[in-house]
Amino acid sequence: MDFRFTDAQTLLVNTAREFLRHRCPPAVLEDSVASERGFSAELWKEISVLGWPGLLIPAEYGGSDGTIVDVALLVEEMGRACFPSPYVPSAVVATSLLVAAGSPAQRERLLPAMVRGDRLCVLALTEESASIDPQAVRLKGEPGGRLSGRKLFVNDAHVADDLIVVTRGAAGPNLFLLETQRAGVAVALMETIAGEKPCEVSFAGVETRPDDLLGTAGQGWDLLHPALQAGALARTAEMVGCAQHILELCVEHAKARRQFGRPLGSFQAIQHSCADLLRNVEGARYLLYRAAWKMQESREATADVAMAKAYAGQACQAVARRAHQLLGAISFCEEHPLHLFHKRILAASLDFGDPAHHLETVATAIGLQ
Amino acid sequence: MNFEFSPDERAFAEEVRGFLRAHPPETFPIDGMDAGYGSGAHSRPFLRALADQGWLSLTWPRAFGGQERPLTYKLLLFEELAAAAAPFGPLAGCDQTAEGIIRYGSEHLRREVLPRIARGDATFWQGFSEPEAGSDLLSLKTEAARHGDQYVIRGHKIWSSHAGISSYGLVLARTGPSARRSQGLSMFVVDNATPGMDIRPIRSLTGEVYHYEVFLDDVRVPVACLLGKEGEGFTQLLRGLDTDRFWGRFYKAPMLRRVLDELVRHANETTRNGVPLARDTAIRRRLASLATEIEAVRLLFYRIGWMLQEGLPTPYETALCKVMADELGQAVAAFGMEMLGLYAPLTQDSRSAKLRGSIQHLYQTSMGQTIAGGTSEVLRSTVATRGLGLPSEPRARD
Repeated sequence: MDFRFTDAQTLLVNTAREFLRHRCPPAVLEDSVASERGFSAELWKEISVLGWPGLLIPAEYGGSDGTIVDVALLVEEMGRACFPSPYVPSAVVATSLLVAAGSPAQRERLLPAMVRGDRLCVLALTEESASIDPQAVRLKGEPGGRLSGRKLFVNDAHVADDLIVVTRGAAGPNLFLLETQRAGVAVALMETIAGEKPCEVSFAGVETRPDDLLGTAGQGWDLLHPALQAGALARTAEMVGCAQHILELCVEHAKARRQFGRPLGSFQAIQHSCADLLRNVEGARYLLYRAAWKMQESREATADVAMAKAYAGQACQAVARRAHQLLGAISFCEEHPLHLFHKRILAASLDFGDPAHHLETVATAIGLQ
Repeated sequence: MNFEFSPDERAFAEEVRGFLRAHPPETFPIDGMDAGYGSGAHSRPFLRALADQGWLSLTWPRAFGGQERPLTYKLLLFEELAAAAAPFGPLAGCDQTAEGIIRYGSEHLRREVLPRIARGDATFWQGFSEPEAGSDLLSLKTEAARHGDQYVIRGHKIWSSHAGISSYGLVLARTGPSARRSQGLSMFVVDNATPGMDIRPIRSLTGEVYHYEVFLDDVRVPVACLLGKEGEGFTQLLRGLDTDRFWGRFYKAPMLRRVLDELVRHANETTRNGVPLARDTAIRRRLASLATEIEAVRLLFYRIGWMLQEGLPTPYETALCKVMADELGQAVAAFGMEMLGLYAPLTQDSRSAKLRGSIQHLYQTSMGQTIAGGTSEVLRSTVATRGLGLPSEPRARD
């Protein structure tokens, strides 16, 4: 057993922390969240120079052959800065699918451009049921046919160049890789409090050619499962990073703020709340690391990912809520960054399976019939 | 990062499991109460069986008759014993005392006591708390005065686990006046058979005896029974308590997982109003959530084990894990009671009891665990000050 990072991981984490501290201060964060795009195009180019969007992409396409543990550590730092970007949908989830199942032509067309930060691709899976289960997919689609219907909660589809659309096929789920510009595709933002950009994507008789198919017809679920796990894990890392930053805000406040002639942090009521925040953050962090490590080592990790995501979803939300109490009235204001971190945790806890979804996976894993 | 034990470590865990198959834990006679920490009941015969395997001196230096195995082996030993519900109650105390004697002990203690520990012949109680010194331990009043080559100890200790059935007590006493309350304290290894000791049982809420109070009425011990030097008591105490919080709680995660597995089995096999309990969404979610929290605690304890092995400082980690483990233990026990409904309070002896009446016992004993070895309140303050750097609460004295 070894809890140490590799030297390369330490470098990645330190670089990310420094970069995001300088380039993504609260003002940039607020502007990004308020904008229609939702993130800074300039920063996206800068992180491409650092190699982040290509982290999971093989070297032959210009990427850096990183692992899911690297992704977890990087996204944890992104969470710490509440960095707004399409990183998880495009560079983690869609990238995983393209790397695992893309045809040579599909990979060649997308991956090098994604490494450079010139192209974004997102997964369109969820529909009205808001479920990520394969049987929840109602949108019908076969190679050589046409798509009619809609997908919901497709994050960052409004800026994506390509979509991976999951459809119900005669032999099982099909995945299609389609340009957002294809005739009949329409994207509309769904309004949300969370500072993210979930979209409604409608398909009006959109053509699905055989060479649009990603992987084998009917085998979509085998491809989706690991990609959804990667997504769940990355969003767990984001929650852990957000909660870590919230903890730091609270500790800083408890040290600096004086009432009744002494620092707030010298009152046991405040100390005990802060100790509970640390408990939640650390509990979530090592479940995350173990799940990521097991995925990296190709071990069976379904229950580990589910535990990590369920725990972080609940524990990090609790951190955010408690932080409002610890920070007092100022945390109720728009100008204070806490609400942005809080809402990010909220959104991340729901994306790629909410705590109830993942607890059901755990329930099965512990042997409940 | 690597979250797996090495092949050698896994082979050792298998060796322990093999031992437990050959020596079923339930066949060993019990001589003291299971207080629900995960280490089971007190059983001298089981302790001796472990000693026969050489497992009581697993990590000691070779110079002291040990095997110098890395700390991970002890961790795996504890984990496997807890998972099998073995009665190894006194083990952590033995291990901790041995560590203290190896580090600080006189020639006499090393020669007399260490071999007895290795053989499974000696067990220990802690004489720290007093009637007027609980969380405020430094207000303790027991005194030890040097007379020639002896110390004369006088005082009153309480909440000493298994004291009446142990061999020695670790008694913390004042050996000199001092400006600071943390100075002038010393630790003694006192043989239970020493004249002047009056060890009285305290019946616990389960009806059994776990704690004792100990009256020391001019108890005379040789100078060689002083652990380390005069005045080192406080340092040893802090070190000991920290070790205690780790080794005395580490096995809680595997124990709770075993209990959870029993609750899962019960949910699968029990039908209420025509529906299996296992199909009740509230029950599924709660059991899954508890299983998740157990894993979170297990990993944090593994991390501390790794830090200790690497020689890294652990200023707050054990305090944090102890709070988590004990509160989670209470939550698991309370949910077990809820699941069993009217059956929950039935005793081990009731013919109708479910899960052998074990849940009510776990539930009752769990009430003491957030108090023993540092209350959750004191430990949360430790986490806040030593882990997060918050300022200490102003105190009247230190």
